[in-house]
Amino acid sequence: MLTIDRLKDFGADTDEGLARCCENEALYLRLVNILPADENFDVLEKALAEGDLDKAFEAAHALKGILGNLSLSPMYELCSRITELLRSRAEADYLTLVTELLAQRDVLRTMCAE
Amino acid sequence: MERFMTTSGLKRRVLIVDDEIINRELLGAILSQNYDTAFAANGEEAMELLSDPEAYYSLILLDLMMPVMDGFEVIERCRADERLRRIPIIVMTSEKSAEVRSIRTGAADFITKPYDMPEVILARCERTIELSEDESIIRSTERDKISGLYTRDYFFAYLHRLIPRLDVPMDAVALNIDRFQLINEILGRQEGDRILKCAGDLISDMLTSSIGIACRGENDTFFVFIERRDDYLELTKQMQKKLDSMAGGRHLHLKAGVYSCEPGEGDPEIWFSRAKAACEGIRGSFGTYCARYSNELYERMVFYERLISDVNDAIENRDFVVYYQPKYNIQGERPKLVSAEALIRWNHPELGFISPGEFISLFEKNGLIRKIDYYVWREAATQIKRWRKLYGTEIPVSVNVSRVDIFDTGLESKLSDILDEFSLDPSLLMLEITETAYSGSADRLIEAVDNLREKGFRIEMDDFGTGYSSLNMLTSIPIDILKLDMQFIRRMLMDQKAYRLVEMMIDIAGFLDAAVVAEGVEKEEQLKALKKMGCDIVQGFYFSPPLPAERFGELIEKELKEREGSYADN
Repeated sequence: MLTIDRLKDFGADTDEGLARCCENEALYLRLVNILPADENFDVLEKALAEGDLDKAFEAAHALKGILGNLSLSPMYELCSRITELLRSRAEADYLTLVTELLAQRDVLRTMCAE
Repeated sequence: MERFMTTSGLKRRVLIVDDEIINRELLGAILSQNYDTAFAANGEEAMELLSDPEAYYSLILLDLMMPVMDGFEVIERCRADERLRRIPIIVMTSEKSAEVRSIRTGAADFITKPYDMPEVILARCERTIELSEDESIIRSTERDKISGLYTRDYFFAYLHRLIPRLDVPMDAVALNIDRFQLINEILGRQEGDRILKCAGDLISDMLTSSIGIACRGENDTFFVFIERRDDYLELTKQMQKKLDSMAGGRHLHLKAGVYSCEPGEGDPEIWFSRAKAACEGIRGSFGTYCARYSNELYERMVFYERLISDVNDAIENRDFVVYYQPKYNIQGERPKLVSAEALIRWNHPELGFISPGEFISLFEKNGLIRKIDYYVWREAATQIKRWRKLYGTEIPVSVNVSRVDIFDTGLESKLSDILDEFSLDPSLLMLEITETAYSGSADRLIEAVDNLREKGFRIEMDDFGTGYSSLNMLTSIPIDILKLDMQFIRRMLMDQKAYRLVEMMIDIAGFLDAAVVAEGVEKEEQLKALKKMGCDIVQGFYFSPPLPAERFGELIEKELKEREGSYADN
């Protein structure tokens, strides 16, 4: 089961996340639970595979907002990097970055499912 | 008013628009501490919620990047809408470029992602709402010059600000001085304004002892937003009494319409339009001071709106059908068919038959009656010509000329044009006017009647005896025919006074050299009594109900045969 302690271990800034949820722990955990199913992860992966950088940017941008709001710091930082690179349409090894992001998503998903 | 500003019972409502459920929930949790919240997952859903006229939003929190309809389009649509324009919008974004673009389109503020701490977000929302409410109050001029109450704009701006802070049940009350137009017409505008000032003072006095605010809504209608009470009838009576004495002992008719506001529901503009509808519902009904808005009234309003919007189609599709009720001269040995009255029926393709009682007075109020009258004039003229062709005889038809027609300076030429078009003599189109419609503004009536009679039209005074200026009017307006209202005929055999009144009215007609038509004759005894009194012409179910033109034609045929028969007898 997902707990505040496990999220802390995951690297989340849970103090900030909880404060944003008005110290409502149940709400915070519920929202984090929803995250792994967010379709923007898949949209991002697929758009990059197809070379559609506009669409990839939109998805990364949306994810960045959510990850930041939930204070999932490692994922947020990674996603911010992806977003900024996409914003300038920079040449980058997107595949590696996104694979890492998706791996973190999977860790979170496993934590939620356990 | 201080009490209003410090209490906080009801909550303002904030609309949160974001395609990400996590963001919506997060903001919902933060904002629901201080506000009622509503949610939309894209621009289209947001516009749908906003378009509900019953919903009032104090703030929109708007994500810019969304599928289906993005935030920019929501901003543009709100800016283009009269009602939504005043709702402040805070955009949520982390894009600097988007911020610039949205502030140009009219966003009030920004919230960046990731969100600030809840206290910061709440403070920004609160400040934005406050600023927008202050602005809308500052924009409007505060006081109405005539009544001394608030202006309508200020009143509603103030209400929007007030309502979320109220913790007592409130009512919307519309107060109207019935037939105020007459005061302006008879006593002049200055005196009219003075009476409006008196009414404003009375309302102000009342509000010193209750919680509430008031404005002059329009002309002679006042809007009062007041703490709920149960003595509106007493209150209205008292105010009318005071107003009468302030108006120099003149008898004014004050009417009140009340709508009980449901906390958190609807728009103040709607509350007051309902209060006003309740008030208008009792306009002209003597002895009724106060009415409440009801579902029944709402349905009636919707029905009336439908009728109004369908009039033009009905004329074009000929859904209005003219019926003809025969009039008989009863002074000879046998009753002779002499003329007809045109009566309109509405066969609505969806609503079925609609009684003239439903739509005539409605259309008299909003002026649409002019179109109906004109339609009937032409129909009647067409019919007179058709009968002439079919039977070789001319049957005069009475048609209605409403108050608004009289004030149309083109009336005389419109009627003449119709006659020319169908080559009819003016005496064939008899014009019915109603006495009640002209008190206080008889000059134009006299002018119109003089002009029309000069052209050869005959003028009938309809519903004689039911108005309140009858005798006075009759001396100055030349009338050819007096029509006795059917209520006298119905009562004349049961009520000695009514019987005497009919006799007197027939005498008056004789004195004025006018023929008399009795309406609503249903029984033989009524007919006999009227004949004895010297009444010339009779109309009513005793002879025939109003008939479609073809059926009326059969009566003409019958009449012609009887005439031949009586010639043959001689």
